[in-house]
Amino acid sequence: MRRVVPFIVLIAVVAVLNGWLDQRFYVRVLTLSVVWALAGVAWNLMAKAGQISLGHSAFVGIGAYGFTILLRGGGTSPWTGMAVGMGVAAAVALVIGLPTFRLRGFYFTLATISFPLILELLVSHYGDPELTVPFHPESEWRFMEFSDSHTYVWVGLGMLVVALAISELIDVTSFGFALRAIRDNEVLARAVGIRTVAWKSAAFMISAALSAAMAVLWVKAVLRVTVAEEVFGITVVIVMLSVAFVGGVGQTWGPVVGAAFLIPLAMFLDDSIGESVPGAQELVYAAALVLVALLIPRGILPAMEKGCRRLAMWPRPSLEQAGPSLLGRLAAPPPRPSPLLRMPRRSPRSRLPQPSDTPVLEVDGVAKSFGANLVLSDVAFSVDAGRRVGIIGPNGAGKTTLFNIMTAHLQADAGRILYKGVQVDRMRAPRRYELGMSRTFQVPQGFHLMSPLDNVVVAAIGAVMPDPVAASMAMLERVGLAEKALGELSALTTAEIKSLELARAMVSDPDLLLLDEPLAGLNETERIRFFATVDELVAPHTAIVVIEHSVRSLIQYVESVVALDEGRVIAHGPPEDVVSNPRVIEAYLGSRWMERARDR
Amino acid sequence: MVEFLQFLVPGILIGGVYALLASGLGLIFGVMRVVNFAQADFMMLAMYLSWALFAGGVGLDPFLAVPAVFVLFLVLGMAVHWLFIRFVIGKRENHDAQVILTIGLGLIFQNLILIRYSSEPRVVAPSYANAGDFIGDIFISRVRLYAFLLSVLVAALLFLFLNRSRTGRAIRAASENWEAATYMGIDIDRTNRIAFGVGVALTAVGGSALVTFQSITPFVGFRFVVVMFAAVVLGGLGSVSGAFVGGVLIGIIQSVSQVWTSAAVKNVWVFALFLLILYVRPNGLFGKVQRAI
Repeated sequence: MRRVVPFIVLIAVVAVLNGWLDQRFYVRVLTLSVVWALAGVAWNLMAKAGQISLGHSAFVGIGAYGFTILLRGGGTSPWTGMAVGMGVAAAVALVIGLPTFRLRGFYFTLATISFPLILELLVSHYGDPELTVPFHPESEWRFMEFSDSHTYVWVGLGMLVVALAISELIDVTSFGFALRAIRDNEVLARAVGIRTVAWKSAAFMISAALSAAMAVLWVKAVLRVTVAEEVFGITVVIVMLSVAFVGGVGQTWGPVVGAAFLIPLAMFLDDSIGESVPGAQELVYAAALVLVALLIPRGILPAMEKGCRRLAMWPRPSLEQAGPSLLGRLAAPPPRPSPLLRMPRRSPRSRLPQPSDTPVLEVDGVAKSFGANLVLSDVAFSVDAGRRVGIIGPNGAGKTTLFNIMTAHLQADAGRILYKGVQVDRMRAPRRYELGMSRTFQVPQGFHLMSPLDNVVVAAIGAVMPDPVAASMAMLERVGLAEKALGELSALTTAEIKSLELARAMVSDPDLLLLDEPLAGLNETERIRFFATVDELVAPHTAIVVIEHSVRSLIQYVESVVALDEGRVIAHGPPEDVVSNPRVIEAYLGSRWMERARDR
Repeated sequence: MVEFLQFLVPGILIGGVYALLASGLGLIFGVMRVVNFAQADFMMLAMYLSWALFAGGVGLDPFLAVPAVFVLFLVLGMAVHWLFIRFVIGKRENHDAQVILTIGLGLIFQNLILIRYSSEPRVVAPSYANAGDFIGDIFISRVRLYAFLLSVLVAALLFLFLNRSRTGRAIRAASENWEAATYMGIDIDRTNRIAFGVGVALTAVGGSALVTFQSITPFVGFRFVVVMFAAVVLGGLGSVSGAFVGGVLIGIIQSVSQVWTSAAVKNVWVFALFLLILYVRPNGLFGKVQRAI
């Protein structure tokens, strides 16, 4: 219901305005507001994954040229032309996206600029820089040739509602979770099974198709002629950016708010002073971008939400009367029940069978160097199902690098990783997670814009669980975080963050659990409790590998220890043997200490 | 072969100017990790200033105006940093704000100039604008040669500034590791401000050099913005010397491509190369460059 209300408001407002406004100019303002809201919604789909594209005019141009060429060539209906243009735009988005999505941050934004520029130059030079759209009065609907300009507003409203519905649908399904996770922390998203390139490509294709659809309406209702410089031009992108950022970047309803605010403002200004001030429209967009960047970088919608919450908090409750007053309850952020995610997406991939005579993990001759710095060389050991192995070694011994190679965050220079007897070196991080490898991080990682519950839900989605929310909630209860499940990540203590990391790593019921310095930052009681919690959570078949500096706590927990020094295995065996091994003591304490110990 | 050289030589000459334009962008990114989308609009502003000084009664030769342009844009750049840029530096979530802030500032510059001077193209034609010399069969335009020599001179001065002066060393330290630089007592805000001013001034001088053979409109910057990015990425994002080499290479490619395809699509080659470098060697042609100099 909460999600339907904005749709009703939007339809009602546009319907009233469309029925009431009569003057040509006002209908034009309304039409363009709808067109740019639609464009902004399309652009914003990519922003949900944190990707700022400056190349969306490529898709607008493809949509505009596509339908114009078909209409001129064979009298094809603009509706068919729209469908074709959407298909071509989506295909181009896929081709562009696959290499481009390997680039992060600035590099992605930079790369996207050049696509519309290339297309515009090629179309202008080898094609036609300008194509008139032929007039087809014989059928209003078939040729989108409405004699009443109000009809374009109705068509635009219909398209906008569809686009918004798609955007909402993305928000509430695992698709939206994946995109938000990518925006928040892409490395972590890959570590919990989110196939980042696939999700980003899907969002980019939908976004491109909607942009192409918007182009047909824009040309038919307003431009009436397809000009390469205009449809491929940077101004398209600037208006998309403006409406999306002003309203709320990545927010479904952001562009609608942004367009409702900016487009009429720009057009009225242009109408009143445009004669003497030629750049008035662009100045509105420019000023909006600058002000939003400096004042409310996340847009009007989130700023309003925050403002409302603050207003309801006022006057500030003092410490004595901090009880749940009515105002206080209004002010509390609404507990967001994670949306239903039971949409059958794909069946869980069957995990590899565990052959009884094969270890879960075999590390075979792994080597890695960063430049001239040799970090690992010829590391080999294996872990049997259900066993617990510790990895110790001084700082810089290569322990975390070894983990990163196991989970595909780094590629080894030589050697093999076998998981249940299968070589996994060529598999990427999300695939290894799906197969049952799971890890925590030395520096705890999290999706900071999500609640603790949603942090675990992402991992459950990555593991293709049938009911991710229920599984995640159950896991949070088991680690004792149920009460904080819907709070903010920043409110958790170090110990709670460690528990959250554990819950996230355990929700997929892994066959191999890799814990990277789980005890760092914990006090004595928390340390003891941590391993007890791990024991409660893991299934008997799960093998555990722990990197830990606190050797005393570690040797009480594990069954065997691998000692690394300067990238080599210097000892491997039962904990007592390894810690009394002279080479290990030397590695930790230096040779002088050894001599002194011997003298005694 | 002669035909090839006829394109290669002007390519190198214009490439020198691209190098100067790009070195400013590279310096700013290197020091404060801000991709300044308004950089080419500072160039546009400098071109209008040169035009105003030349055509507006003073009759100042654009090459002689360079010191004034440099100082004025140093101050303008520092002011823009102080007024706007410093608020969006640092944190990762500021990335979006940097993009829209610099795009918005560039748009404001364009449209203010449009309001003041209209979109009519302006040209600066000193008496020697069409002069040139033949070396063998190859014609070398006087203004392009001067522009190239100016760029080389400014590059040399930039090198001296970054390596010899205290401020220059502070800028290099900040670009290498700004956190460590703060521990060494370097005032990072001041360093950023100066770097932004110098970066803007370098690009502005490049604009002054261009003005004798490039007509000026309020939107001329857009034609150069991707060329500048391409040069910077080619040389390794954040490396000033890399940006310089990248600029020369872009000039050569743009010019020599005319042997095969029409001049109208010469920038397609530049953009395609830009993408190729991003995909294949995102750290630039010269490998792992993370430093500014």
